Amino acid sequence: VLLDAVISAGPMPALELTMQFAARRQAVLAHNIANIDTPNFLPIDVSVPAFQRTLAQAIDARRAAGGGMHGPLDWKPTRELAQEPDGRLRLVPRTPSPGILFHDRNNRDVERLMQDLAENVGVFRLATDLMRHHASRVRDALAERV
Amino acid sequence: MYGALDVSTSGMVAQRVRLEVISANLANKDALVDADGRYSPYLRRAALLAPGDPASTSPAGRSMGVHVAQIRIDPDALRRRYDPGHPFADEQGYLLVPDIDATIEQVNAMEALRAYEANVVAAEASKTIMAQALRLIA
Repeated sequence: VLLDAVISAGPMPALELTMQFAARRQAVLAHNIANIDTPNFLPIDVSVPAFQRTLAQAIDARRAAGGGMHGPLDWKPTRELAQEPDGRLRLVPRTPSPGILFHDRNNRDVERLMQDLAENVGVFRLATDLMRHHASRVRDALAERV
Repeated sequence: MYGALDVSTSGMVAQRVRLEVISANLANKDALVDADGRYSPYLRRAALLAPGDPASTSPAGRSMGVHVAQIRIDPDALRRRYDPGHPFADEQGYLLVPDIDATIEQVNAMEALRAYEANVVAAEASKTIMAQALRLIA
């Protein structure tokens, strides 16, 4: 129970959800890049602002329920964000917009794809760095006790 | 996380196969006889890509990535050339030769190469994410 309280305290659940989102989205972006020359292929993606809204709502709800940054993060599934039976995040990507098609009916946009890829790695890196920082503070606190 | 790497690998495999097909077209652009020595001008081939990876071991992975659905042989990729002295020429002095444009093949090869590189970049990004996740344990 003590360990649960330590793990679900502060920003840990939000960071974990962000990492799950970035890791799953990485596969989606890789899929779009793998199909950059595939005729009739329309890229798929999930909305990052929509995920951020879901995350913000879950954080607000946790704050309202517990009066602070404690307890698990209870996020609500949306059309693009599904929940596995074990509570993990599953993405349901869609085609954002048909856009302009090339002669092979593929609406690739390589610059935007590469930008999304770089941003996604940045988000994952930020979440893991913050998580490591938080974990080291927890370790320091525990070391003071023993 | 390994799923993203599988997806990029499927992209690299597909582009490599495409490049091999283009190389074969270029190498055989003047080939008039088959392996047994019979007159059979080489027909241009094209790799057709389709989304999904049937080789993937996971059900979720089968809908992601890309694969070569077919290597299509173009039966009409022949043109008539006037060469009356040629041993394979007909009564009018014409023979059928492969209709392969080296410039088009070069452009396709460049496109395949760039697409391959894009997949390498995506795989590198996935590796960065994996390394970053592993650093949490260390």
